[in-house]
Amino acid sequence: MSFIKKLAAAAMTAAMALTALSVPAFADEPYTGYNYDWWGDPIPSQNGFVVDKVIDGADLGLDKLDYSEYSKTMQEQLKGLAEPQDIFVDQKTGKFYIIDGKNNRLIITDSTFSPDKTEVVAKLSYGDEFPESTSTVKNTSFKNPHGVYVRKNSDDVVLIYVADYDNNRVVCFNEQYEIVMEYVRPSSDVYDANVTFNPDKVIVDSAFNVYVIVPSITQGAVQFSADGQFNGYYGANRVEATAEVIAQQFWKLIYTREQIIAMRRAVAIEISNIDIDNEGFIYTVTENKTAETDVLKKLNPAGTNIFVNLGYDQNTFGDYAQRYYKGKNYASAITDVDIDEEGNIYLLDFATGRVFQYTDETDLLFIFGTKGPQQTQGTQKGTFMSVSAVETYKGRVYVTDSRKNSITVFKQTEFGAIVQNAISLFNEGLYDEAKEPWEEVLRRDANYWLAYIGLGNAYLNQNDYATALNYFYRTSRAGYNRAFKSFRIEFIRANFTWILIILLVIIVGLIVLSYVRKHLKKKKAADKGGSK
Amino acid sequence: MKFDLDLPAWKWPFYVMRHPFEGYDDLRWKKGYNMKVAWVIVIAFFIISVASAQLTGFLFNRTYVKVFNIVPYFSSSVILFLTWVVGNWSLCTLFDGEGTMKNIFCVSAYALLPYLFSELIIIIASNFLLRTEVGFINFFRYLGIVWSVVLMISAMKTVHQYSLPKTIAAMFFTVVAMAIILFLAVLLLTLFQQVFVFVYSIYTELMYRFSI
Repeated sequence: MSFIKKLAAAAMTAAMALTALSVPAFADEPYTGYNYDWWGDPIPSQNGFVVDKVIDGADLGLDKLDYSEYSKTMQEQLKGLAEPQDIFVDQKTGKFYIIDGKNNRLIITDSTFSPDKTEVVAKLSYGDEFPESTSTVKNTSFKNPHGVYVRKNSDDVVLIYVADYDNNRVVCFNEQYEIVMEYVRPSSDVYDANVTFNPDKVIVDSAFNVYVIVPSITQGAVQFSADGQFNGYYGANRVEATAEVIAQQFWKLIYTREQIIAMRRAVAIEISNIDIDNEGFIYTVTENKTAETDVLKKLNPAGTNIFVNLGYDQNTFGDYAQRYYKGKNYASAITDVDIDEEGNIYLLDFATGRVFQYTDETDLLFIFGTKGPQQTQGTQKGTFMSVSAVETYKGRVYVTDSRKNSITVFKQTEFGAIVQNAISLFNEGLYDEAKEPWEEVLRRDANYWLAYIGLGNAYLNQNDYATALNYFYRTSRAGYNRAFKSFRIEFIRANFTWILIILLVIIVGLIVLSYVRKHLKKKKAADKGGSK
Repeated sequence: MKFDLDLPAWKWPFYVMRHPFEGYDDLRWKKGYNMKVAWVIVIAFFIISVASAQLTGFLFNRTYVKVFNIVPYFSSSVILFLTWVVGNWSLCTLFDGEGTMKNIFCVSAYALLPYLFSELIIIIASNFLLRTEVGFINFFRYLGIVWSVVLMISAMKTVHQYSLPKTIAAMFFTVVAMAIILFLAVLLLTLFQQVFVFVYSIYTELMYRFSI
């Protein structure tokens, strides 16, 4: 007995040792890829993006620079990034602009992040072009800058716009770091006298109108024309129809003027970030956790949300479920938005440190990145502590973390590339060509429901309605409806004779039946009458 | 006037459906109450409610199909119907209603018939219609509900020999009574669960003592 036991134990040990040996060393992502299915349930999925590398101040060569003019404590801080607030990539030149917030400087580098490509901008000068008439803050250094945007003007001069938060200005300068323009607090009556002007984020459209996000303003982004004139507000959120708002509407009918003035005003939630795509559409996001309307908007130049007409504003952006656990609200807080060259939308969730990638039609593609546990302090690659901005360049996603003081670079996986390829073909209307990548997607992840819609559209395009119906079933009502419409017409056309024959038989049968019944009744009545 | 109404039991529900106003008078006169027929209709109500969730076409189906549990369907059809009958009987016996439990059960079940037919039509039609043709489905749904409600009012009025306002008041308070009954049932269930747990823990305690 004991011998058998020993033998079994030895065999077990050997087996365990062998399995341990056969496992190769590999580094997994700190997050599990997941997606939301048609029912809105989270389901595991393959990762579309994995961590490529993490860039910190030392990689950029910031620790090698000369800081002798600064104090001892400041020198330590300047050797790395300190609260990077924003990142911008010029898609044409491939230059990266990183706002190093607490160090009051702008870092210009490229996608290699090598020290010899890195430039540090800490001091500016007022150039000759600076208009005399403009009101100015007169400060040649940044003070807690928060946002950056770059656009080349018609004279091929690269203009860099920095939202200089504590200097109450948006400063615009050229590549010689000469200030060309300053956008300061509007003196107009429209601008509330009690509201400060602390620019948080900035974008510039193709007409060189400047849109500034000021956190204390709920009317939308502050819009300036190129010469610094205040144009008004742009793209305010709607007021959410909560119970409080509806109750206020009721009380307004009864209250006196004085009472109405004293009432707490229902205001829209302020927009928290902004981006512009290649076609000039402006996207805004709202970070507030309680916000459910207007979390993501796509605005045309008139400031109208075009997602409303398409019905996309009803979609959920970020995580679906709002969870309350131990008095804390675990809802998504979308802090940044980015649009890549293909039109994909990237939303950055401050609450969970996740990046949500959507198609231009707001279909969820991938979710990646995560907030690390408190103990690890985000030291593991791919985990974050306090994300601040997201940017894309050539299929890579760059996320800055203002407490990890680093930039995390995500690269697309093979699976992500296949999905991206299929989406691109699909968007170009090449449904048949998109069939093969979609089938490959399903071979790798049968839960990826966007693939079913793609294949459904491909078969619908080939007039194979029955197969299209199969793919659309429980993946897309709109698609199913379209396929079923054609399917029904085709079915009636093919079987018209039979349908007609069956209908005729039923009608004739009914007539005959009623005739027979009448006849029988008469006969019965006659029999009864006869017997009496 | 209708002394030739010697209908077989199964034809009475169809007769009252086609004669919403005087049909129940004839039924009362002819004593057409039949528990077996009524039970068949109640079971059909249950089956239709399950079928509506499972067989309605994809374009019109809002059911979460990942999990299927028969209990909610059973309680929202059969249990609800029985509660209606019990609630109505308890209320109307106190307010000079003439209906017995059996009578109330039968006439209420018979009044469900148009609703069941409309649901059946919807289940079949939803598999052939497009989303733009949802009007047909709504039409049949409202038709069935309104018809059934009219029948139910007529049934209550006749079976208790009430005036119309009294009938409507009685039906409203029946719904209130149903709510109270369901509340008490849930309360009782939880309390019995507690008692069961208590008894069971004493049993286990004793078993431990005696096993030493």
